[in-house]
Amino acid sequence: MESYKVQQHKFDVIVVGAGGAGLRATFGLAEKGLKAACITKVFPTRSHTVAAQGGIAAALANMGEDDWRFHFYDTIKGGDWLGDQDAIEYMCKNAPASVIELEHYGVPFSRTEEGKIYQRPFGGMTTHYGKGTAQRTCAAADRTGHAILHTLYQQALAHDATFFIEYFATDLIFDDEGVCRGVLALDLNEGTLHVFRGQAVVLATGGYGRAYFSCTSAHTCTGDGGGMVLRAGLALQDLEFVQFHPTGIYGAGCLITEGVRGEGGYLTNAKGERFMERYAPSAKDLASRDVVSRAETIEIREGRGVGEHGDHTHLNLMHLGPEVIHERLPGIAETARIFAGVDVTKEPIPVLPTVHYNMGGIPTNYHGEVVQLKNGDPDAVVPGLFAIGEAACVSVHGANRLGSNSLLDLVVFGRAVAHRCAEIIKPDSPHKDLPASALDKALARFDKLRHADGDTPTADIRLKMQKTMQSDAAVYRTQETLAEGCEKISEVHASFENVRVSDRSMVWNSDLVETLELSNLLDQAVATMHSAEQRKESRGAHAREDFPDRDDAEWMKHTLVWIDEKGKSRFDFRPVHSNTLTDEVETVPPKKRVY
Amino acid sequence: MAEFTLPKNSKIQPGKHHAAEGAKKPRTFKIYRWSPDDGQNPRMDTFEIDLSSCGPMVLDALLKIKNEVDSTLTLRRSCREGICGSCAMNIDGTNTLACTKSIDDCKGGEISIYPLPHMPVVKDLVPDLTHFYAQFASIKPWLRTQSPAPSDAERLQSPEDRKKLDGLYECILCACCSTSCPSYWWNGDKYLGPAILLQAYRWIADSRDEDTGERLDDLEDPFKLYRCHTIMNCARTCPKGLNPAKAIAEIKKLIVERRSA
Amino acid sequence: MSDLRNPLQRARGLGSAKSGANHWWMQRMTAVALVVLGIWFVITLLSLMHADFATAHATLAKPWNAVLMIAFTTSMFWHAQLGLQVVIEDYVHTRWLEVSLMVLVKLLAVLFALACALAVLRVALGA
Repeated sequence: MESYKVQQHKFDVIVVGAGGAGLRATFGLAEKGLKAACITKVFPTRSHTVAAQGGIAAALANMGEDDWRFHFYDTIKGGDWLGDQDAIEYMCKNAPASVIELEHYGVPFSRTEEGKIYQRPFGGMTTHYGKGTAQRTCAAADRTGHAILHTLYQQALAHDATFFIEYFATDLIFDDEGVCRGVLALDLNEGTLHVFRGQAVVLATGGYGRAYFSCTSAHTCTGDGGGMVLRAGLALQDLEFVQFHPTGIYGAGCLITEGVRGEGGYLTNAKGERFMERYAPSAKDLASRDVVSRAETIEIREGRGVGEHGDHTHLNLMHLGPEVIHERLPGIAETARIFAGVDVTKEPIPVLPTVHYNMGGIPTNYHGEVVQLKNGDPDAVVPGLFAIGEAACVSVHGANRLGSNSLLDLVVFGRAVAHRCAEIIKPDSPHKDLPASALDKALARFDKLRHADGDTPTADIRLKMQKTMQSDAAVYRTQETLAEGCEKISEVHASFENVRVSDRSMVWNSDLVETLELSNLLDQAVATMHSAEQRKESRGAHAREDFPDRDDAEWMKHTLVWIDEKGKSRFDFRPVHSNTLTDEVETVPPKKRVY
Repeated sequence: MAEFTLPKNSKIQPGKHHAAEGAKKPRTFKIYRWSPDDGQNPRMDTFEIDLSSCGPMVLDALLKIKNEVDSTLTLRRSCREGICGSCAMNIDGTNTLACTKSIDDCKGGEISIYPLPHMPVVKDLVPDLTHFYAQFASIKPWLRTQSPAPSDAERLQSPEDRKKLDGLYECILCACCSTSCPSYWWNGDKYLGPAILLQAYRWIADSRDEDTGERLDDLEDPFKLYRCHTIMNCARTCPKGLNPAKAIAEIKKLIVERRSA
Repeated sequence: MSDLRNPLQRARGLGSAKSGANHWWMQRMTAVALVVLGIWFVITLLSLMHADFATAHATLAKPWNAVLMIAFTTSMFWHAQLGLQVVIEDYVHTRWLEVSLMVLVKLLAVLFALACALAVLRVALGA
């Protein structure tokens, strides 16, 4: 093995990822007087938070009656009772303050006539525990994620936060006691290796949507945090729950916000029928995403899909009129024009369910601390390791996330991590020496992939993985497809031994980075497929045709999955937290989920 | 004085040619290549691509090349829907985003692709934007107020005042405009350029911001602001359809407004 | 970049000169003046198209015409100087050369403007 010169950096806390959660944590830590460094593989405003459109949920009651308890109930129901109710309480209760805080930072929210933050209806968001429709989703036109991400980056600048931009984190560094001590990263611009030492590492690395062939996720959504955690021998949670967004543009896969339906848009099939009325009589097009995606899939499967091949549906918003579209949905008008060639004031947008979000991820408690099942304790904290955002599974989204809860998740738990770190870490505490061998494994892996000289290019393996996931871990799943999928995805995983990296340079070696990313994706793809295979029920986004019902007696529990170096999976479970944090709200016992 | 010849080591050489055998719908891409690791001069590689098995956008073609022909081709990309601003480059003579530029919209036979003009190149199509980002930070681009925010409520803003931010806040910092501006080419070290000035005006135009005077003070400079000679390349090239030149004109107007004639 | 300075240090540079607005404003003021005075100049010139030297001399000697003529030449050199300053700032990046050229242009502009004014005055006052 080549010997690498590894540069050392010491900080109080290392944040990996500069999306909404990572940025909120970074300047939150700076605010608390901790020395924080944010390592990110893309410039912060390129992170995928930028693509969020519809808004951020908070019971501000700016546009009608609302209460955070209604939001709490909706989130539990939306997550099909797999969400941890203590964490959900924490998120929904802190939502209004978090959004107000964003406004104070300068987010250009759209406004009501009184000058307050504009709020729109969104799927699954109700008042009075399912009775009315809530206008809860705070929006900056249909570019809310962009507005929030830019503002958070600006706040990070205002707080003089330290960034390491275009550094790709390859592995977590643990000491012999299992405490996370830092992270190894590759500086793309210089082609040098760096070890970032911290009393804590916060993973804010986002989801792994790119494990699928057609997804709304950016090319950079490769679940690098999840990959690092799995390689460290820790478990991920609830990976079988992959959200399909009902309105991804047919062909291109680009996202069309649920806000379109919030503003009054609706889906139609080949007969021009508003089919959601049949599947969700009261919420109709504003049912939760899993429900709408399944409805679309059934329409297409039963021959009522639109288009030459009858393989998609139509999203109509012509009736909203050019004025409303121009004011509230300008971004999707542009996206539809560019990617579907459609003038939304005159024609419907061709859409179909597209992979969008990973409810699962790195298990954490509501402080953002990573937890594992250890010696019978399902909530054993992994010292020095935190996870937030889509990378984490708190789990506030349970088996299905409600639209506009993800931006909320980012800022609430980004902030929570900063608070928690301030409680448990003393600024400038000395760093314990690392054992001499601490970096060996990570460096060996890096060196091996850098010189990978097999016969299959990275792109080929990636394509095979994406196609397998797309066909066998789809909206509807059966034992047959899943068993076949498990076999196939494990084969693809094994073929990674034969990967070939052609670029031998060090500066901006994107071939190498894509290979490192692929290895992260592959582990999670295998974990997802196998987790889906073992869960013999239907819950939220995990819809099994052979087990069409939710089975609370057997399956109201979080799946924990470990992947070994050979790609073999192992399972265990954590109980769902059905308790609330305080007595300000009562737990919501499971019941049938109807929209 | 201005230099009119390129140093020897930066003269672009003809590069490799990759043919597409039996392509149903071939199209040729000429792509700028340079790596700091091999000590070679930059070159223009030619790739023939079969468009019948390729997505509609230039980014699709670039990724097809990277995936199927030459995985060493280096470029930034992320969202592929025109919102992250990663894949800004010079395509067919215009700075734009590869992900929203349709291949069919490129005129004539060969499509030439270069990194953003007049920026130091890190590798292939990846420019060094460090200075551009530092200029962004230099304008202190965050809400600056003296009066404390209401404790449990948002700062109020009328829909009319909010409308003044439209056409400004949508900027994605892709740097297409700044790197299309001749003034920025000649004086980019000191001139803030259209993107950063648009960002500066975004805060000047925000009814919640209370630091307008200081912001104008900081901009009133022969080089930071007044290098804009209304050439208008910025507005023509902006992939998001924004008009930085107009924002700059507004800044100049406000600076004149506050002085005696 | 081999420079070890922080990028922000370079971007902030020497800070704002808090000037430039005057240049911008005067360039526009002189431009407006030149449009108005240019029209007057062309009309006067046309009216003198077939006139002999004595008539032209007498016309320029009239007080109003002399004043406008001085105003015209002064704004012209003023405007030219402002314009050349922009060109120099744009393209000349060697500081000593930039300063020298700028001083030279300014001095020449003043010199030419004074020369023009003196010429008109001599015609007007019949010296």
